[in-house]
Amino acid sequence: MAVPGATTLSDETAGRVPPALRGILPVLIAVPVVVLADVLLNTSPFATYLLSVVGVNIILAVSLNIVNGMTGQFSIGHAGFMAVGAYIAGVTSLELKEVALSFLPVAASDQVLFTVALLAGGVAAALCGFLVGLPSLRLRGDYLAIVTLGFGEIIRVVVQNTEAFGRALGLSGIPQYSSVAMVYFWVFLVVLVARRIAGSSHGRSLWAIREDEVAAEAMGVDTTGYKVRAFVISSFFAGIAGGLFAHFVPIINPGSFTFVKSMEIVVMVVLGGLGSSTGAIVAAIFLTLLPEGLRSLFGALGAGGSLAQKVDQIRMPVYGILLVVLMLARPQGLFGTKELWDVLPRWLPRKKKGMS
Amino acid sequence: MSAAVTPAPPGSGGALLEASGVSIRFGGLKALTDFNLSVRQGDLLGLIGPNGAGKSTAFNVLTGVYQPTEGEVRVAGQRVNGWVPHQINHLGLARTFQNIRLFRALTALDNVKVACRAQGALHPVVMGPLAKAGTAMRNYRDWWRALLLTPGFQAEERELTRQAERLLEVMGLSHRRDEEAKNLPYGEQRRLEIARALGTRPKVLLLDEPAAGMNTREKADLMVLIRRLRDEFSLGVLVIEHDMKLVMGICERITVLDHGETIARGAPAEVRSDRKVIEAYLGDSYLESHGGAA
Repeated sequence: MAVPGATTLSDETAGRVPPALRGILPVLIAVPVVVLADVLLNTSPFATYLLSVVGVNIILAVSLNIVNGMTGQFSIGHAGFMAVGAYIAGVTSLELKEVALSFLPVAASDQVLFTVALLAGGVAAALCGFLVGLPSLRLRGDYLAIVTLGFGEIIRVVVQNTEAFGRALGLSGIPQYSSVAMVYFWVFLVVLVARRIAGSSHGRSLWAIREDEVAAEAMGVDTTGYKVRAFVISSFFAGIAGGLFAHFVPIINPGSFTFVKSMEIVVMVVLGGLGSSTGAIVAAIFLTLLPEGLRSLFGALGAGGSLAQKVDQIRMPVYGILLVVLMLARPQGLFGTKELWDVLPRWLPRKKKGMS
Repeated sequence: MSAAVTPAPPGSGGALLEASGVSIRFGGLKALTDFNLSVRQGDLLGLIGPNGAGKSTAFNVLTGVYQPTEGEVRVAGQRVNGWVPHQINHLGLARTFQNIRLFRALTALDNVKVACRAQGALHPVVMGPLAKAGTAMRNYRDWWRALLLTPGFQAEERELTRQAERLLEVMGLSHRRDEEAKNLPYGEQRRLEIARALGTRPKVLLLDEPAAGMNTREKADLMVLIRRLRDEFSLGVLVIEHDMKLVMGICERITVLDHGETIARGAPAEVRSDRKVIEAYLGDSYLESHGGAA
């Protein structure tokens, strides 16, 4: 059977953006802007802090989206993996505090050690992801939710009772190596990975599992293998996010990694649209800044310091209402499975229909 | 994906799919009893029976969804008891589903590409622990290739697209290439499912009620198509079907199931006049009032 010449690839090589950049271009542009903004705002440590928190939440949301969105599994223990990363990276940094690489200037040496600590945290989290994922992802349905929920709690309790992790008091004195540039470098990496996966044959297999696991298996897709791999990658980045977090907050304690934190990340992913990386980013930014916005709003309204201080307490009810409204008005999330550039107005250059 | 120029004569070569003495019990319920079947290249077999006779159960045992309680299933000579569906699929067994199970949100092209991809040369199924570890490493390396968009990876993607486009063309779906599967009309969804199954480069194709919900004209087209696919892709085909006309029209041999038991097997003409078959389909009273076999 001759293959007609007409079938030689149309949209994959054509197009203005080279494939190597496709899908990550917005981030490539956004990251320097954010870093620049940080430099300009250098006088305000609060702005730096807020930017870092936004970045960490983006990493968490985008990585969770790989599992919950693309693969259609339901993990609700992302804060647990974040905790693993935070504590392992934190302890590594504390251990290496006195060490300096003599052949490098001090600042560079610190960053190298920081990267080592981050990777240690990420790998530890990935390992946990593998151990948690392997048994639970063999099964279909809600088992992953139950197991990840349990895992998150176990990690919290273990940390609370381990001397090396500072018990309930938490770890303090971790060197503050983190910078906005470093955080957004990892934001860039996680988005790159998520988008590359989404556009590749691996991503298609993950989408297939999300759509119909039985059919995917019958078509030769090793569903368990793919789910575990997606879960490991997702856990790795949660660990990295935790490691970054540990290096710009003064103290990490088990209270930072509760079930509430896990739910916060799930809300970000669902709000942005399960399966949409840019949706996760937008939702992460929005939900991180929302409490700050409310706080200033109440402050400006003169509602008194009391209400402004209560923002953190009313945050979860607000999330709840937000989710209920969303489920009623737009059950697929803000963007559904589409990316930002697919839902932009017509006059902007659009991508061709398809997965990548 | 080389299609044979001249179709192999029906029933030549060894059995590509063989079930011997397969029984399956769910608790006390015997869903299938002593089921025997053999599909060779070029075969076009039918599996029929009244509702609840165990036809779909038989399919599920053959494809690894259920494990047989007794007996064994062999695909391409390999015993596959205890294997999971994707491993069995890699040996060359592909299926469609009674109630269409496409990847609904994916485009027609991507539906087929998923199947094509899963058949990369990276999945030796029969292997020891060392080879298994090697495959696991390759799987992760494969993800790196995707992350770095290596030229090799891009070439592979192009090859997949080419294969998938060709299959869409064979099934007359080229014009639906970028349409989401859920937006396709019913008949085209059925054809897309077949295209997807062919993407896995099967040796044996199992079709579960491919004509369900089709009109007479579509059914006639389908009969021609199934024959053509068998010849073009050198397949063995096993069809579950309710529609007698379709089954009798294309199948060379037919197995009839009732209550999980094989009550008849043979050429269409033999099966049609078999007393047990008529009894199963039309009931005893019909036989009594009409005096014996039709």
